Amino acid sequence: MNPALTSSETFLLLRPELALVAGAIIAFLAGAFAGVRRGWLIAVATIAAALVLAWSQPGGCSLAGGAAERGSITSGPVSIDAFSTFTRQAVLGLGLLLALVQSGDIFAAAVSRGAAVWRGGTCEEAGTFLLLLSGLSIVGVADDLVLLFAGLELVSIPTYILLALKRTDAHGQEASLKYFFLSLVASALFLYALACLYGIGGSTSLAAISARLRAAGTEGIAMALLPVALGMALAGAAFRLAAVPMHFYAPDVYEGTSPGNAAVLSTLPKVAGVVVLLRLLGLAIPGPLGDGTVGAAATAYTGLFWQLTAALAAVTMTVGNVMALVQTNLRRLLACSSIAHAGYLLVGVAVAAAAASTGSAGGRDALSSDASWLGGLGGATATLFYLATYALATIGIFAALAYLGHRWPEWTSGSGPRPPRQEITTVEDLDGLSGTNPVAACAIAVFLLSLAGIPPLPGFWGKLALATSALEVDWNAAVAYGSRRAAFVALAVILVANAAIAAAYYLRVISAIYFRSTKRGVQTDGGLAAGLAMLACLVLVGFVTLRPAGLFRAAAAAGDAVSRTPVVATAQAASPSAGPVAAVR
Amino acid sequence: MNGLSPGMHLVLVLATPLVGAVVAWLLGARGRDAVRQSAAVTALLTLAAAGWLVVRYLASPEAAAGEPYAVVTLPWLVDGIFDVRLSLGLDGLSIWLFGLSALLSLTAVLVSWGAIQERPVGFYVLLLVLEAAMLGVFAARDVILFYVFFEFTLVPLFFLIGIWGHDERRKAAVTFFIYTLSGSVLTFLGLLTIVLWNASHTGTVTFDIDGLTAGLAAHPLPMNAQGGWLQWIVFVALFAGFAIKVPIVPFHTWLPLAHVEAPTGGSVDLAGILLKLGIYGFLRFSLPMLPDASAAAAPWIFGLGVAGIVYGALVALVQTDLKRLVAYSSVSHMGYCVMGLFALEPVAVEGATLQLVNHGLSSAGLFALVGMIYERFHTRNIASLGGVASRAPWLAALFMLFTFSSIGLPGLNGFVGEFMILAGSFQRAWSGVSEACRPAYLTLALLAVAGVVLGAWYMLWAVERVLFGPSREPPTGGSAHAHHEADEHGHHGAAGGATDDLAWHELAALVPLAVFVFWIGLVPATFLEPAAGPLRGIMQPSARAFAERMLEPDRGPAPGKIVAIP
Repeated sequence: MNPALTSSETFLLLRPELALVAGAIIAFLAGAFAGVRRGWLIAVATIAAALVLAWSQPGGCSLAGGAAERGSITSGPVSIDAFSTFTRQAVLGLGLLLALVQSGDIFAAAVSRGAAVWRGGTCEEAGTFLLLLSGLSIVGVADDLVLLFAGLELVSIPTYILLALKRTDAHGQEASLKYFFLSLVASALFLYALACLYGIGGSTSLAAISARLRAAGTEGIAMALLPVALGMALAGAAFRLAAVPMHFYAPDVYEGTSPGNAAVLSTLPKVAGVVVLLRLLGLAIPGPLGDGTVGAAATAYTGLFWQLTAALAAVTMTVGNVMALVQTNLRRLLACSSIAHAGYLLVGVAVAAAAASTGSAGGRDALSSDASWLGGLGGATATLFYLATYALATIGIFAALAYLGHRWPEWTSGSGPRPPRQEITTVEDLDGLSGTNPVAACAIAVFLLSLAGIPPLPGFWGKLALATSALEVDWNAAVAYGSRRAAFVALAVILVANAAIAAAYYLRVISAIYFRSTKRGVQTDGGLAAGLAMLACLVLVGFVTLRPAGLFRAAAAAGDAVSRTPVVATAQAASPSAGPVAAVR
Repeated sequence: MNGLSPGMHLVLVLATPLVGAVVAWLLGARGRDAVRQSAAVTALLTLAAAGWLVVRYLASPEAAAGEPYAVVTLPWLVDGIFDVRLSLGLDGLSIWLFGLSALLSLTAVLVSWGAIQERPVGFYVLLLVLEAAMLGVFAARDVILFYVFFEFTLVPLFFLIGIWGHDERRKAAVTFFIYTLSGSVLTFLGLLTIVLWNASHTGTVTFDIDGLTAGLAAHPLPMNAQGGWLQWIVFVALFAGFAIKVPIVPFHTWLPLAHVEAPTGGSVDLAGILLKLGIYGFLRFSLPMLPDASAAAAPWIFGLGVAGIVYGALVALVQTDLKRLVAYSSVSHMGYCVMGLFALEPVAVEGATLQLVNHGLSSAGLFALVGMIYERFHTRNIASLGGVASRAPWLAALFMLFTFSSIGLPGLNGFVGEFMILAGSFQRAWSGVSEACRPAYLTLALLAVAGVVLGAWYMLWAVERVLFGPSREPPTGGSAHAHHEADEHGHHGAAGGATDDLAWHELAALVPLAVFVFWIGLVPATFLEPAAGPLRGIMQPSARAFAERMLEPDRGPAPGKIVAIP
């Protein structure tokens, strides 16, 4: 499709990532000379530059423009298609917001001799954060197991450092150690999955593995390895998504770290998890260059894939929301909420896998019965769209928390000197915020309502996409007990029921902010940069509320690129996949 | 100004409260007077614009032809499977509820005039946002837009109850929100299924309500085992949201709590408009789009409606709190609407639709008056009230008027609606059901008549105890407590004695409602005629399905249909 690129040209495809690494090096070096805040200036400037570089690449304008440019460049381990472009731009855009949050993450790191030691972000943290972003961006473009794993590790290792750097008290140490060990286990599991995939494919290239997986006659060894590979890969991805069964670290880690770090943890690893899952799912889908065959091994793979992800989705949503109901600590509550949202994200992945396993992913005709049907919403699209709406609202909340910073403890004059300020930890600490800081109060309320999926906020559009995609699965089959359609209808019902459960604890926070009064004023002593990030999120949320179509189109281009054979190739692929499709009708 | 196109006019009506909300917010620094005056002006302007639009609609050729009027459409999320549009318009079904929303919003602003002392800016901003949402839900012609407004009305009301409500306000606000949300998320799935079904069978994606109605008429959802009883499933999903909203007994438990704790302005909007959304949803979606399931479920829901009438009336009878009594009377009166709707008889459905407006007027008036009594005497306890009539004769007169309207005194609006509902129900019972079902239907209709008597009993008894008898001061302890409470929650009593009677803003809030109480009572045709045509179209498929099901039992159950056993 595209002329072979030289290795230096291939290398240059990674311009945005290279820019991030260069920025990281500059930040590390500058740390020796510059003041504390400069590091984050470097980070913001670098991310902005990387965004410009990403836009300037061919087809790079998908987030801004539309799905017009669908061309893809594949060279060696790197593949630049609509999916990786979306991922990259989403990562960089979220990274820009997160950098602001991180730089405004000012808090009392420790108390020495009764006086709090205040610290803001350092240059080292800025550099580490840039490395994290470059790793995540590489995960998006990786078309090779080695690069994929390298990217994932480039996400994980800076995360450990960020966690350890930020906070040195007992809670912080517990959080970083817990995350470190569990993340190692998850990485090891994922590596095992990659080894199994290599065993099946005989190559580290995703395209080669995909071809082997789909070819007829690979059943023997593949059938034995597939469940292992898939189980391990899902466990690894579940850790990054904070999905059941690898979810339990989230509340402890979020509680023990700073709001800025919690913002990073609740969004960027989830992006990584979703990207990895969709890429792995894409193995079983005939690509534009493939011959379109789908063998028994691939069918078994996608079948197992949707069953596992659907089950995980149902359990994760429910567990996350039920756990959140009883939380009083704000960051623990948001951690549980992020677990629940991982479940919502998995719904879309399960839908994409189900579509792939019937071959309806081959064409955009999932719904057609007696009339021509051009629409059809892929699960991948819904997941990516939801991910973006979720990330905006979540970053917004943590930005607001970082911005608000501390509160005065309860204290009456006469009972000794005024105790030092305390960090905002519990829901009650936000009591009466609407009186003391109406802008932040309103912003938090909007973000929470968006997460709860109240129309017309972005979270509603995301849930609309997810529910629609789930209802579409096997549309022409009857909703019979035990059928796959019934399973997905049930999944949709569980999803909306969870939205109602989730409203209970989101409203608890809003109720504290608006319906209660307090004598312990919130200080608003965090960095202004975090306040800026909060406002930026608010503006973006407002924009997506009014014009969801732009983001949706970008997500649709990306989702179609990863989980569907392009329409052009469908004509060739039609005859081999006609069997299962006909059976469904 | 005749050049103003109807579509722009409608957009203007919807935009006015939003602009007014911004103005009220900007005026916040100038104090309470400026804010409430600007809110009142906004509500008045909206009412004038909406009223003018209603008049224009009635004179328009579209009204005569039964077509949607003032249609405006803008794309919102149009891509692939989604064709969500900001599509607005009015028709005979929505026109009166649309006008009622504008009217009651003015009432809500005026009854809050003295009651809201704390944080007036937020209160009036939310009230105006709520007004825009209520107007929008009746003007929406797109499924998702309807759902957006349907849900979004919860948000301002949640804050209105939670911030400006009474003692249990936080619990009431959260309960109200979660309860109604948990029902309507299922409605959401049901609506999505309808859209997907229509898209897969007609080949065009549309979220337009009229388009979906037409599409589903041509390709009905399956009502048999092969089709997975899809029509039943969708009906139940829609029912979940609408029944809670109405509320149909036994899904009513959120209502008394929300009403009792809400500030008066919130109660007026809640009882006057938001309860109507459920019935409106049945009329817009369930009856025309799911006729077979509606017909099959009709006897059961008819029965639930009657159960609501009787249950609501009996519970109202034993209430000691005046506001709670009015809240339960709402449950009872919404039972009439449910019953009339699912009698599937033209007269009854028309009556039920008119009764929506009637109940909106009378319950809004009663809640407003209860609020005024509370402002004066700092209690809603019936036992501690008495002789209000001698101290506030105008208040008492209007209380009597709305009571009579509520219990259906001939010559007032309530009579017309209840009479039509009962007449239609008896007609259904006599000539519209199979022999086997007739006794059950007759019993239910007679029980509903008994409900009318019960309704007169509890309302008049309450009137007698509160308005007449010896003039009674609330017990001093309670009074002090009430004053303390007033300071906390922003309720502030008017000075006692001679100034107890209605102030100008209270009269201005109630007199327009009273005018319509008489108008509908004396010339109901004005209000019935515009709705009659569309309503027949809406209920015809369900009525036909019901007739097939009921009157030809000898043919046995049609393939794939459930035998209805009322």
